Amino acid sequence: MNFIDAHLLSLILFIPSIAGLILLFLPSGEHRLIRWFAFGASLIPFVLSLIVWFRFDASQPGFQFEEVYVWYEAIGSSLHLGVDGLSLTMVLLTTLLTPLAILASFTIHDRVKAYMILFLFLETGMLGVFLALDLLIFFVFWEVGLVPMYFLINQWGSANRNYASLKFLIYTMGGSLGLLLAVQLLGVRFGTFDLLDLYTQWNALDPAEPWLGMSVGTVKTIAFWAFVIAFAIKVPVWPFHTWLPDAHTEAPTAGSMLLAGVLLKLGAYGFLRLILPLYPNEAQIFAGALALLATSAIVFGALASYAQTDFKRLVAYSSVNHMGFVVLGIAAAALAAGTPDATIALNGAILQMFNHGLSAAGMFFLVGVIYDRTHTRDLEKYGGLFPLVPVYGGILIFTSMASLGLPGLNGFISEFLVVRGSWPILTIYTAISMLGLLFTGAYILKGIKKVLHGPLNEHWAVQRGEHRLAEINTREILVMVPLMALIVWIGIWPAWILDVINKAVVMLF
Amino acid sequence: MVPLSWYLIFAALLFSIGMFGVLSRRNAVAILLGIELMLNSVNINLAAFWRYGDVTQMAGQVFAIIVFAVAAAEVAVGLALVISVYRRRNTVIADDINMMKW
Amino acid sequence: MTTEALMWLIPLPPFLAFVLIVLFANRSKALSHTIAISAALLSWLGSMIVFVRALGVEHLGENPFESSVNWLPLGESVETYFQVGVLVDPLTAVVLFFVAWTVLMIFLYSVGYHNFGQPEGHHDHKGLPPHGATVEEPGRQRNTPHSGSVDKHVVPSVEPMYSRFFAFIGLFAFGMYVLVLSDNLLTLFVGWEIMGLCSYLLIGFWYAKPSARDAAVKAFMTTRIGDVFMLLGIAYLYSSTGTLSFRAIFVPDTLHALQTIPSGFLGFSAAGLIGLLLFVGTVGKSAQFPLHVWLPDAMEGPTPVSAMIHAATMVSAGVYAVVRMFPLISLDAQTMTIIAFIGAFTAIFAATIAVAQNDIKRVLAYSTISQLGFMIAALGIGAYVAAVFHLITHAFFKALLFLGSGSVIHGMEHGVLHTGNHHVDPQDMFNMGGLRRKMPITFWTFLIGGFALSGFPLITAGFWSKDEILADAFSHGHSTVFITLAVAAFMTAFYTMRQITLTFLGEPRTPEAEHARETPWTMTLPLIVLSVFAVGYGWVGIPEHFPLLGGLVPSWLHEFVGGTLSEHPEAVEFNIIPLLTSLVVALGGLYLGWVTYRNVRSLAQDRFQIPLLKNKYYVDEFYDRVFVKPAYWFAENVVYKFMDQGVIDGILHLFGPFTDRFGSFIRNYFDLPVINRFFGDGSAEVTYTAGEKLRFLQTGRIQQYLMLALVLFLAIGAVLYFLMMA
Repeated sequence: MNFIDAHLLSLILFIPSIAGLILLFLPSGEHRLIRWFAFGASLIPFVLSLIVWFRFDASQPGFQFEEVYVWYEAIGSSLHLGVDGLSLTMVLLTTLLTPLAILASFTIHDRVKAYMILFLFLETGMLGVFLALDLLIFFVFWEVGLVPMYFLINQWGSANRNYASLKFLIYTMGGSLGLLLAVQLLGVRFGTFDLLDLYTQWNALDPAEPWLGMSVGTVKTIAFWAFVIAFAIKVPVWPFHTWLPDAHTEAPTAGSMLLAGVLLKLGAYGFLRLILPLYPNEAQIFAGALALLATSAIVFGALASYAQTDFKRLVAYSSVNHMGFVVLGIAAAALAAGTPDATIALNGAILQMFNHGLSAAGMFFLVGVIYDRTHTRDLEKYGGLFPLVPVYGGILIFTSMASLGLPGLNGFISEFLVVRGSWPILTIYTAISMLGLLFTGAYILKGIKKVLHGPLNEHWAVQRGEHRLAEINTREILVMVPLMALIVWIGIWPAWILDVINKAVVMLF
Repeated sequence: MVPLSWYLIFAALLFSIGMFGVLSRRNAVAILLGIELMLNSVNINLAAFWRYGDVTQMAGQVFAIIVFAVAAAEVAVGLALVISVYRRRNTVIADDINMMKW
Repeated sequence: MTTEALMWLIPLPPFLAFVLIVLFANRSKALSHTIAISAALLSWLGSMIVFVRALGVEHLGENPFESSVNWLPLGESVETYFQVGVLVDPLTAVVLFFVAWTVLMIFLYSVGYHNFGQPEGHHDHKGLPPHGATVEEPGRQRNTPHSGSVDKHVVPSVEPMYSRFFAFIGLFAFGMYVLVLSDNLLTLFVGWEIMGLCSYLLIGFWYAKPSARDAAVKAFMTTRIGDVFMLLGIAYLYSSTGTLSFRAIFVPDTLHALQTIPSGFLGFSAAGLIGLLLFVGTVGKSAQFPLHVWLPDAMEGPTPVSAMIHAATMVSAGVYAVVRMFPLISLDAQTMTIIAFIGAFTAIFAATIAVAQNDIKRVLAYSTISQLGFMIAALGIGAYVAAVFHLITHAFFKALLFLGSGSVIHGMEHGVLHTGNHHVDPQDMFNMGGLRRKMPITFWTFLIGGFALSGFPLITAGFWSKDEILADAFSHGHSTVFITLAVAAFMTAFYTMRQITLTFLGEPRTPEAEHARETPWTMTLPLIVLSVFAVGYGWVGIPEHFPLLGGLVPSWLHEFVGGTLSEHPEAVEFNIIPLLTSLVVALGGLYLGWVTYRNVRSLAQDRFQIPLLKNKYYVDEFYDRVFVKPAYWFAENVVYKFMDQGVIDGILHLFGPFTDRFGSFIRNYFDLPVINRFFGDGSAEVTYTAGEKLRFLQTGRIQQYLMLALVLFLAIGAVLYFLMMA
C-alpha cells in the first residue's frame, strides 16, 4: 500500500497507458476480453482518483500529492505532478468519463484492439495535462492527447472523417506552435520549466527590463497571445470554433463524448492554470476582448446550433455555447481579479467545466444511441419516436434539460454563478449573453421536438421489419446512470464539489 | 612432450579441411559441418596455447568454452533454417535457395 | 414535529412520488395515482398544519417561521456562502393554503378525467388523447329490443400514459411548493423553472399532436424570454446586496441603498431596474401582454393541467413573485407605473379577445390572462393586499371553472362517443347548450365559479377581491387604471355569462349535447369543494367599513397579509363610487350576456365574431413574422451558413490552397530541378551505373564469395609477407 500511497498520481496517469500496452499482447479476435479489459483498466484510475478526492484536504493551500521524477535534467524539466482543487476536479471528470466512454464503445466491432488502445492512450494524454506541474510536461501531454484522437476520428468516424480529423489536428497543432515557442522562452530564461518556480519568477520580472531587443512587457504580451491562441482554439472561443462541429460530428460516439467532455476542458484549464497566474496584467488588459469573444461564442453558438438539421451537429454547437460561459467567467475574473465577484465567476466557470463535461458527454452518447439504431442523424428523419423508446425519451429529455440549464440540475448552478459573477464586472456582455441563454432553450427544444415529439414516423415503427426502433439497452442505461446521478446531485447539493473548487479559487486567484 | 607446432599444424589441417568443405559442398548441412570443423580447429589452437603458455591463466580454456556455446547456438539456428527451407522447398542445396537473388 | 422541519418536508412527498412513479410504478395505473394522491395529501396535511400554526402566531410578519442552510460555498468565509431555506410569513401561509387545496383537488380530479377504471382503447396510442373503447356486454334494456343480443357501445377509454401524467403533476407540485416556501429568490426561481418544465411537458402531454407539441415549445420559449431577464434581475440583485434572502433584502438600509443607487439605465434606480427585470419574468410566467401568447395555446394540454398550471398555481406564481418582491419593486415609481400600465392593459386586452372565443377552455384562458392583469395592475398601484386577495380567490374560482369546463368536455365527449360523430368538437360552445339538466352538479358549481369570476355582489369571493382592487385604484387616484379595470370587469361579466348561457342554458344544439352525461364523483367532488372556497373565501376579506356587512366578520385577511410588509398598509376609506361601479359592471355584464345569448342558436347569430378579436389581434402572426421566422433565418443563413461556413471556414480553407500553391512552387522550381534532377537523379544514376558495372561480381553464391575472400586473403597476406620481409 505504501507504494500506491506514494505514487497515486503517477499511477493514475500511467495505468491507462500500461493497460494499453498490455492490450497489445491480447489476441485481437477476442473482442469481449479486450473490451472488458479496457473497461476494467480504465476503472482503476477512477478508483484511485476517488481515493485522492477523499484524501484531498481542500483547506490546505498549494498542491498536494506532489511527485517529482527526473525527466530531462539537461534543460531543467522534470516530471512534476500534483493536484489542487482545480485540477482534481478535472482529473475526476476525466477518469469518470473514460470508463463510460469505453463502455459506450462496446458497439464498435471494427479493429477493437486498436480502438481501445488509442482510448487508453488518450486518457493518459488528457490526465497528463491536468496533473502536470511542469510547463514542458504540460505541453508534451497537450500534444500527446491529439494523436489518439486524430486516429479515432480518422479511422472510426463517419462519412466526412478525413476532412474533420485533419482540420482538428492541423488547427490544434497550429495553435500550439506559439505555445511551444512561448514555453521554450520561459524555460530558456529561467532554466526551469517548473510551474511553481515560474509563477514567482516570471511575475517578478521588471516589465521595463530589455529582453530580446524588446522590453519584458512586450515579450510578455506576445507570449500571452501565444498562450491565448493555443487555448482559445481548444476551448474553443469564437471565432476559432469551426473545427469543433466537424470533429464532434464525425467522431465515433465515445470520441465525441471525450472530445466534448474532457478535451475542450483542456483549453479552459490552460486559461486557469497558466494564463491567469502567469499573465495577470495582460489578462486584465485584454479581458474585454476575451469577454467579447466569449459573448459571441454564447450567442452565435446558440444560434448556429438552432440552425442545424443534424442532431449531432446541433449538440456539437451547443458546446460552443456552453464553453462560452466558462470563458466569460474567466474574462470577468481576469478583469477584476481578487474581488468576491471574480471568485464567484471563477467558481461558476470551473463548475461549468465539470457540468458541461457531464451533460455534453451524455448528450453525445444519446445521439450515438439513436444513431446506432437508425443510422441517420438528420432531425427531419426522426419524429414522434417517444412511444417507441419511452425510456430513451425520458433520459434524453432529462439530459437535454441539464444541458439547457434547468434549475434543479447542475447546469443552472454554474451558469447562474457565472452570470452573477460577471454581471457587476461585464454588465453589457452578460446582458447580451442572455440572448444565447434564450436560444439555448430554442435549440434544445428543437431537438426534443424533432426527435421525440410529433406524429410518429411510421418508418421506424414497422412491426416485424428491421427498422423497428429498439429501446435503449441495459449497458447504455448504465453509461447514463452515473452521469444522471451526478447531474441531479450537483443540481440539488453542489456543496461537495463547489467547496473544493471554491477553496482552490480563493487560494489561487 | 609433443611440441606445440604439431598441434598448430594439426589445427591448420583441420581448418583447411573445414574450409574446403564450406567452399566446395553444395549441401547446406555439409557446409554447416565444415563450419564446425573450422571452429574446432580454433579450439585446438586455444587449448594448445593455454597448455604451452601460462597455465594459471584460464583465458584460453574459457574462450574455448565460449566458442562451444556459440557453435552450438549457431548450429541450432542453422539447422532450424535448413529444415525450414527443406520443408518449404524440398531441397537443402544451397544454390537452389535463390529466391532473394536478382 | 417542529414547524421548521415540517416546512422542509412539505415539498418532498410530490417529488418522491415523481421519482417512485417514474422508476417503479409506471406499469400500474392504480399504484401510480395512489402514490401521487397520497403524496399530495401528505403535503396538504403539512401545509394545513403549518397554516394553522401560522395563524396562531402574533405578528407573524416580524417573526416568521424560517430555517436555512448553507448551500453554495462561495468566497472566503461562511458569511459569503449562499444560503437557502424555507420561510413561512403571512403571505406564504395564505398562498400555501390555496396551493395545497387546489393541488389536492386537481390530483383527485385527474383520476376521473383520465378515465381510470375504464377499459383500454384498441386504437389508442401513446401521445394521443384516448379515442374510446368498444365494449360488448349482454344486451340490456337500452337500444336492444331483442333480448340476448350483444350490446356494442363505445365508452371512454383510459389514458395510455396515465402513470406519466401523475408523475409530471407530482413534479409540478414539488416545484410549486418549493417556490412558495422559498426564503430566497434563487430557490424561488428553481421552483419557477421546474414548473416551467412541467408546464412544457404537460402541455405537450399528447405530444403526437403537432398542435400540442408546438404549443409546448411556444410556452417554454415565451416564458423563457421572461426568465432570462429575471435571471439577470436576480444576478443584479445578488451582486448589489450580496444576498437573495427576502428577509435580508427587505431591511430599510438595503432598500434605501437600492433606491438611491442609479442603475445607469434610462434613469431607473437600481431597485427600479431590478424590479423591472424581475417583473419581465412575471410577464412571461403570468402571461401578461406582450408575452401572453403562450397561455391560450397551452390549453392543448389535458384540462387538469390547464386548471392547475395555467390557472391556479403556475401563472399565479408570476404574480406571487411580484408580491414577494413588492417592498423592492415599489421603491421606484417609474417601474410601478409600467407594471400598472401592463396589468391594466392586459386586463382589458385579454377580456376583449375572450368575448369572441368559442372554445370553452380558450375563453377561460383569456379570462385568466385578464384576471392576472387585474392583480398586476393592483400591484402597480400599490394595492398589495387586494392583489393577494384576488390572487387567492381567483385561484379557487378559476381552478373551479377549468375543472368545470373539463367536466363539460368530458360529458360532451361521452355524447360524441355515443353518436360516433367525431367531427363534433367537444370543446366548442356552439355545440353545447342545455347541459344544466344533463350535468347538474357541473352546472351549479360552474355557475358559482362564473359568478365569482364576474364579481356577483356580496355572496361570491370574486366580488370582494375585485371590489377591493377597484376601491384601491379609486381612492389612490389612479383613475385611468380604475376606469380600465371597470370596463374590463364589465366585459368579464359579459363573456362569463355568454359562456354559461351558451353551455348550460337553453336547449341542446347538437345530438352530442343531448347525450352528455354527468361525470364521476372523482371529478365532481373537487368541483364542490372548490365552489365552497369560491364563495366562502371572500368573507375573510370584507372591508371593515363596508355598509351593513363590514365588521360582522373581522377583516382578517387585511390584518394578516398586511402584516407581511414592514409598513402595514392602511385599509382604504369606504367610498360609494367604486362599490356602485362594481355592482353595475357585474350585474350589468351578466344581464347583458344573458340577454344577448339566450336566443343564439348558431354561430351566425353571434354578433361578436369580429375577425380582429377572433384572431387575437393577430399578435401570433405578428410575432411569427417579426421574431420567430427572422430569428431562424438569421441563425441558419447569417450565423451558420454565412459566418461559420462562409467566412470563418472560408478563411481556414484558404490556408489549404495557399499551402498547396506554395508547396507546388517549391516543388516545381526547386525540388524537381535541383534536388531531384541534379542531386537525386544524378547520384542515383551514378550509383546505378556503378552497380551495373560491378554486378557480375555478385553471383549470390556464398561459396564463391568465400573463395574470393580466401584468395584475396592469401594474396594480401602474401604481399604483406613480402613487404615485411623486405
